[in-house]
Amino acid sequence: MKVNEVPQDITYYEGVKRACFALNDEGKYVVVTSVGWDDEAVVNGLAVDDLAATLEHTRKAVLAGVKSPLCYHMERRQMTPEILAKTAGIAAFRVKRHFRPEIFAKLKLSVLDRYAQALAITKQELMTVPQK
Amino acid sequence: MTTELAANGKPYVHHHGAHCETAVTSALFRYQGVDISEPMIFGIGSGIFFGYLPFIKLVHLPVTAFRYKPGAVFHKAAKRLGGDFVIKTYRDPQKGMDELRQVLKTGQIVGLSTNLYWLPYVTERHRHNFNGHNIIVLREIEGGFRISDPTFGDPVDCSADGLDQARFVPGPLNPHGYMYYTKSVNPHPDLRGACIKGMKDSCSLMLRIPLPIFGVRGMRFLAKKIIKSPDKLGFQEACRHLAGTVRWVEETGTGGAGFRYMYAAFFHEAAGLFSSDELADLSKEMTAIGDNWREFSLTAARIIKQKDKAEETFAKAGGLILKCADREEAFFRKLQKVARQLKA
Repeated sequence: MKVNEVPQDITYYEGVKRACFALNDEGKYVVVTSVGWDDEAVVNGLAVDDLAATLEHTRKAVLAGVKSPLCYHMERRQMTPEILAKTAGIAAFRVKRHFRPEIFAKLKLSVLDRYAQALAITKQELMTVPQK
Repeated sequence: MTTELAANGKPYVHHHGAHCETAVTSALFRYQGVDISEPMIFGIGSGIFFGYLPFIKLVHLPVTAFRYKPGAVFHKAAKRLGGDFVIKTYRDPQKGMDELRQVLKTGQIVGLSTNLYWLPYVTERHRHNFNGHNIIVLREIEGGFRISDPTFGDPVDCSADGLDQARFVPGPLNPHGYMYYTKSVNPHPDLRGACIKGMKDSCSLMLRIPLPIFGVRGMRFLAKKIIKSPDKLGFQEACRHLAGTVRWVEETGTGGAGFRYMYAAFFHEAAGLFSSDELADLSKEMTAIGDNWREFSLTAARIIKQKDKAEETFAKAGGLILKCADREEAFFRKLQKVARQLKA
């Protein structure tokens, strides 16, 4: 890749620049900063949309009373039940069990505290999901 | 490039780097007065690799690694260049933060392994749960730390709480506050010997691992999977998997084309060091291989955008990887011969 071939499409980097290695005119490698690449943005967009769609799906499920808000907040933090289990210090099978709203509603305050701390949110936030 | 001051007033030059680990290692050496660039560290530490790990999943997608496992490049490069490092992990976060402050007061700069998701200065879109992001702490400031994150253009400020969270977040493969700083560094390292060791090691990593998922074999394995994926998984799901692969090639701080350009830069520097034409040729060949990987990313993006439907197919994308595999196999076979003849 030559220096003038380094993609400079303003995309999702949001002002953050990324270093790329490229050949300059004398055939020497230099670091060139890139502000983004459209084709990369397509790929990243697909992944981000994917996450957003799953999150939206979960949010609706929570409002419909099928899942507990814990599931929503876990996905918002890009965690899996296993990661959340290790982070909160609660066995993974219990975490998965707490995704059922009727069981989540009966949880002790101490357990909720651990979840809230693991997800870095307040307990009030943990009990609810945004309405839209 | 920006100059900052460490705790004892010694100037520290912040270089914008492509990859966190190699750039941090290079910065630690530079701070001690050994001028060694990021690609050199990458080559000496045998960073180049390929591995397709379908059984390890991140965000429900298999991992495709273009570099050797996190931490290994630092260890190998430090050993081969004769740098002695203090390496520590902690059970108790409070103790870890206290010791960090003490070491900073002695005028050292400290490398840390952190979780990328919890670093407060990273924007929402770039966050993901990755437990091996390397940064350098320069000094303590009011309410936090001054941090040189080589993947950012300039040094940044980070709150103490945020750093604590990022260093000690529990979970799988968590960093446990992993921290390293220089004890002593050989001021005149044997660069030539270290380069030869790095090259030989890379050759065996790429060619000799007798498993079908590593090295050039791994590339062929992945290529075949990609070619079959639309029939097996359906178009949408196949696109997701392809996008996942491309993110590993371009997005994970590789300096472009899955570290291949950085590796070419290493050969460019090594050619000057050994004044060898063969290494210069290898550098050009590596650049061409990098261009080939770029073409793969481009093809993949077009498939996902559904442009030129007839022309851009999964078979073409897979074919490009097969081509990369063939070229890289030839490259490393040649490198084996060349490296044997080099004199330290």
